[in-house]
Amino acid sequence: MSPAIVIIAAAAVSLFRIVPLACDGDRLVVAGAGVLRLADGVSCAGIVPGRAIAVALDDAGRATPQRLSSDALPTAKIPRTAYVLAPAVQRDADETTLVTSTIDVLVPARTPPSDDIYLSTERTSWSPAEVRMDRVDARHFRLALRLHRGARVAFRVTRGSYGTTERDAARTLPPAHIAVGEPDAHITVVIPAWADID
Amino acid sequence: MRAAPACVVFAACAVLLPGAASARASASLDGGTVVFFSDTLALIARDGATLTLADGTRARADAAYIDLKTDRAVLAGHARVVRGSEAVSADAIALELDGDRVDLLDASTGVSRTTRRLGAATAAEFDAERFSFPDVDDRSAFIRSRHATITPHADVRFKPAAFPTSIGGLPVPSYLYTYATGAGFGATSLAGATFDQPYGLFGTQTSLTALHARWEDGPGPAVALQQQVVSGDDAYAAVSLDQPLRGYSVHGFNAYRRLGTRYSAEADASGTIYGTVMHGALTAAFGAAGGRMDYTRTTAGASSYTASLRTPDEPLPGGLTWRLTGSTGFDAQRGGLLFELPDAHNYSTVWRKGLDLFVATPVVHVPFGATLATTVDAARTWYAFPHAFDTLSATATASRAFSKKVTLFAGYQSTWSADIYPGTQTLFYPTPITPLLLPDGTPYYGYAAFTGARTFRSQNVDLQVTPDPNTAYRLSVVHTSDFPQFDGFGRPVWEVRGDVRFRPFPNIGLDVGRAYDFAWGGTRWQPRWSFAITP
Repeated sequence: MSPAIVIIAAAAVSLFRIVPLACDGDRLVVAGAGVLRLADGVSCAGIVPGRAIAVALDDAGRATPQRLSSDALPTAKIPRTAYVLAPAVQRDADETTLVTSTIDVLVPARTPPSDDIYLSTERTSWSPAEVRMDRVDARHFRLALRLHRGARVAFRVTRGSYGTTERDAARTLPPAHIAVGEPDAHITVVIPAWADID
Repeated sequence: MRAAPACVVFAACAVLLPGAASARASASLDGGTVVFFSDTLALIARDGATLTLADGTRARADAAYIDLKTDRAVLAGHARVVRGSEAVSADAIALELDGDRVDLLDASTGVSRTTRRLGAATAAEFDAERFSFPDVDDRSAFIRSRHATITPHADVRFKPAAFPTSIGGLPVPSYLYTYATGAGFGATSLAGATFDQPYGLFGTQTSLTALHARWEDGPGPAVALQQQVVSGDDAYAAVSLDQPLRGYSVHGFNAYRRLGTRYSAEADASGTIYGTVMHGALTAAFGAAGGRMDYTRTTAGASSYTASLRTPDEPLPGGLTWRLTGSTGFDAQRGGLLFELPDAHNYSTVWRKGLDLFVATPVVHVPFGATLATTVDAARTWYAFPHAFDTLSATATASRAFSKKVTLFAGYQSTWSADIYPGTQTLFYPTPITPLLLPDGTPYYGYAAFTGARTFRSQNVDLQVTPDPNTAYRLSVVHTSDFPQFDGFGRPVWEVRGDVRFRPFPNIGLDVGRAYDFAWGGTRWQPRWSFAITP
């Protein structure tokens, strides 16, 4: 079997996870993508806008709704030729899963060695002791956050109270750092000073 | 808090408050179900969605998604937007909460574009990004509601609000979620607490009024009210009233302003039935070096002032760094500072100057696969009165990772200090005539040897296990060996502490700590709890 036939055969049985935006007649609008044509005999019944479903594409690129399964491919994998209305700019993000975003924090040598290091985020109205970080060594702390793909979480670093919030090199309040929800995302934050330790 | 400081506090807030009052909600979202995801700031309405904008525009659809990061909305399925007598319909519509652009997606004809006036639409490029809709599991939502009112770049109010978990939800009639990122929203004028859960009452892009449910060391349960006024990352003011259920109330004030790229100014105050403490500070940066001025005053007549200059962290061979800090200032007390002297009233203000040398090693690899970092700090303060105060501190922290999930830490900290009064040492540190009696009645004979020199030494061993990103266990044992220290006087000799951070439900994490002090002060063991809820 030639490679081209293998690809076509694989596509014929592949499931794709989509979020339908609308379904009208034989047209299915896929969020962040384009418009698919439904297979013959398939109706819009059971398709709820905004609720994820799986679709199988036949060799002509026509879609048949299926039960969601864990092996469904992301929307971005749908062949562009399957769309009867294809976007000029296609979205390439798969927001179906949680991803791990790692934050490394390097603290100054003057940090009291027995102090814990915390993240403070907008999620708790900036509670200064929101999430305790794990210690890596004397001056290195780490936290792995599980975030939805595409997430952006603003955070600051503290030693557990507002009076011990991080300061920048000029000893002024720095803007919030941003942790992003992308696979294997990683941010390193170097703390020059603390509010209570110059 | 006395009248004068209180007037200063409220005048400062009044200057900033007009800006805070100008922001208002610009959109509301209703649905059979409205779910909110705090990490992506995604707001989704299902089972029939209605979006109402401040200019009177109303939109309906089967479902709707609002991205609070970009203030864009996507209406999905049988979407219709109405403004006055004008209306447009499409299979999906994308619009901006504060912008003019409206994109219409028809499954048969493609994309067309109009404005918020909803005039005739013209054919447009199909940008899939504008018609995105998140693929999320509603069970992991942070908040579930039926109505949300949005103030862009500031907050969302949910009515009602439930916090779904795998075992049900905890509903409240109304909940204000603030996602403004200005540094001042993290500021507080409340004292630290074992547990502090804010509950937003009113909010704008530049202000937040919040009720705090607290558990404080000593008084126990407390309720506090705090008002924050914020100007981006450049300035803020916070005023609070903290009222424990048992005990006296505490008033607090805290303010900050950046003065250009080099300078910043801070002020804070705290008042109780015993009086008020006020503090102001000015910080300056000169390249990597810097300076600071602090002034503190109490209503009991005490005050102090310190001006300090520090060098940058300068390199030494082997990766070591050093830094020198010089300071000068005074301590003052109405009626006399050195009350041990018969002519104490002649010493109501005593000036001082000090030097502090700090040396740190980098984190270095040592045998057995471990790392080690150490610091040494030596400081002396000279006073205008024959008096000096010396401190010498050293720390060492070692770590050994046995795997990616298991790490062992060991630490040693030591501080020696001496309060020296040449020729008058016995006047300031007299030998007790009778032995010091401790709380349980035990005499502490060894205290007679204390003549102003103290020693604090502690050793700790911590075992940290992190089986997955959401879970961490830590067991710590701390031993102290100080002077003076004896049977309830000073720090406990042994402490064992356990901490667990875990996520029992998809959208709620817990951090629980438990500590025991052993055989100290007549009690066999003294347990302490710490507790925190994380999203």
